[in-house]
Amino acid sequence: MNRKPVLVAAIAAAFALVAGQSLADETCNSPYLAKLIKGQEDYLHVWTLGVDGVGDGRDKLVTIDVNPASKRYGKVVHKASVPGARGEAHHMGFTDDRRYLWAGGLDDSRIHVFDVGSNPAKPRLVKTMANFAKQTGYVGPHTFYALPGRMLVAGLSNTKDKGGVTGLATFNNAGQLIAKHDIPTGEVGGVKGDGYGYDIAINPGRNAMLTSSFTGQANYMRPLGELIKDGEAMKKFGNTMVLWDLKAMQPQQVFSVPGAPLEIRWSLKEGDNWAITATALTSKLWLVKPGGDGKWAAKEVGTIGDPAKIPLPVDISISADGRGLWVNTFMDGMTRYFDLSNPEAPKQTYAKQTGKQVNMISQSWDGKRVYISSSLLDKWDKGGADNEQFVRAFHWDGQELKLAFEVDFTKEKLGRAHHMKFSAKAAGKGYAQLAGQQLAQAPRP
Amino acid sequence: MKHRLARMRAPLALLAGVAAWPALHAAGDALPAGGGPRVDAARLPAPGSYTLARIQRCPDGEVLLADGRAERLHALLQGRISLLSFMYTYCRDPVGCPLAYSVMIQTRDALLRDAALAGQVQLVSLSFDPTNDTPEQMAIYGRGQVDPRRARWLFLTTASVAKLMPLLNGLGQDVSIEVDARGRPTRTLNHLLKLFLIDARLSVREIYSVATLDAAMLLNDLRTLAIEQAGPSSGAAVSRRW
Repeated sequence: MNRKPVLVAAIAAAFALVAGQSLADETCNSPYLAKLIKGQEDYLHVWTLGVDGVGDGRDKLVTIDVNPASKRYGKVVHKASVPGARGEAHHMGFTDDRRYLWAGGLDDSRIHVFDVGSNPAKPRLVKTMANFAKQTGYVGPHTFYALPGRMLVAGLSNTKDKGGVTGLATFNNAGQLIAKHDIPTGEVGGVKGDGYGYDIAINPGRNAMLTSSFTGQANYMRPLGELIKDGEAMKKFGNTMVLWDLKAMQPQQVFSVPGAPLEIRWSLKEGDNWAITATALTSKLWLVKPGGDGKWAAKEVGTIGDPAKIPLPVDISISADGRGLWVNTFMDGMTRYFDLSNPEAPKQTYAKQTGKQVNMISQSWDGKRVYISSSLLDKWDKGGADNEQFVRAFHWDGQELKLAFEVDFTKEKLGRAHHMKFSAKAAGKGYAQLAGQQLAQAPRP
Repeated sequence: MKHRLARMRAPLALLAGVAAWPALHAAGDALPAGGGPRVDAARLPAPGSYTLARIQRCPDGEVLLADGRAERLHALLQGRISLLSFMYTYCRDPVGCPLAYSVMIQTRDALLRDAALAGQVQLVSLSFDPTNDTPEQMAIYGRGQVDPRRARWLFLTTASVAKLMPLLNGLGQDVSIEVDARGRPTRTLNHLLKLFLIDARLSVREIYSVATLDAAMLLNDLRTLAIEQAGPSSGAAVSRRW
């Protein structure tokens, strides 16, 4: 690798870097996703950025066997590289039937579709959608959020100025564009929108969708050391969230949430009606919920680490009962746990350095297994010895994170480990395989 | 044309079982506990104030009516707004076919209170399991619901799994079969609950899952398509009927 080291001190001094990303684990999937894995996951799929001189140098989907009962536990069992130059592999999301993974490139705006359902141990690239930017005018397909029979994709940027103004695009599961919706730039509900996009989170019961905001391609593809010296560029980060009427796909309210609110998580607890997010630049937790008058509002409810040291919260993972929240901060490599028993006042109850740089965090449905990956963005990852590239799996007993296994993505010649998704072996037989005859011979109902 | 499956004789006990579910839920009663959607109807937009995207074209194929006649699916759907659900008669998953059936009954009951809309809409139940759900079985299953003076409800099956597959694949309806310890298929079909809202021109306009399967939302969407079908000038009139 021929990357120049990026000094942590310099970054911190330069203030606010936002780092990207995530959207990942079993508790944070779209509510429309089928076959939630509430037991032991079998495989972990890692959307991995290619690195020059490391393996084939291409972006790839790496599959790790994560079932402790398997002889291959903790081992890479499959790699599926995508053709062409690196495209800044970043996030991915399952279709509603959990058969296909859509994986995006933030730089080339391509979307790769992998068949995971046919054989989760060996995902297969079945389609590449190269026209996202041309079709939509948006750049950087980031969040892939399943809707019934379709995929909602949040962009990060646009083709005109590569800034942060962007939108949402809806595709059917065959990959045809069926609708697009600009993130509002005008005033909605008394607050002016900035048009920026990042994450999507839906609460079907309330007909509510939230989006958050990051920055445009001109920023996220610049070398970090260069970017932080550009005062004007550093002003171009999102400071809003938007509440949408999901059915109508119309913005209803814009919330002022300074400092690039990234991942959004709705509480999954029965009866709860709130969502939480973390701001990357300002290192705060924000709660979104209806007030006494029924009108939605966003308010700051907590602090992550020491904001003056710019820890850069980049990913969060909520527990299935809505009572706990993992937060990864990139710069200090810390993994923190917050007690959300009172979401109005989250309390940090645990912290551990899990790497020299950490980004994504994904937990199993029961919360007993926690997976952490290292890479943020190609040009934002640290350099030198701090540029660890890994996936680390931990056991969580409520008291301590204990390392279960680690895959060194540099040593294994894979690249930069980014977004993670779980899969499980198929529980039944495909319908078509049976051709009716075997079904007819099955025991009568 | 009556397909050979239509002439198969099922055990009486099985026929009784098939009839049991609809009978138990024919009153349009409350949704099953623990699995019912909780959509806050007050937060839904007014019918006609929004547009439902055209998600995809509805696939075509040969289906069998409950009287055994073969017909093209498109011929049955064209010209009406259809709410189509895949199901199988012996499904016992409380958030599976019984939930869909319950919501469809609620929808049907609402349609009975609006003859104008009911005249534009039909409900369609199409079996996952042609090896068991013969036209005879479907007729028994739908007994009491099939009445042309009321809202139209078609109970369909297919002649074979091969005839069914293009419809399942075309609509993206996932289904697999549970196997026993020896890897042999059981009679439990695992499927993602989906209801398809199909307009009179055969475009799929909405797909409902467990998370959104709610009669109030569904009726709003039916109204929205009816308003769209009537044209911009008559939209308000259609809306007022509800």
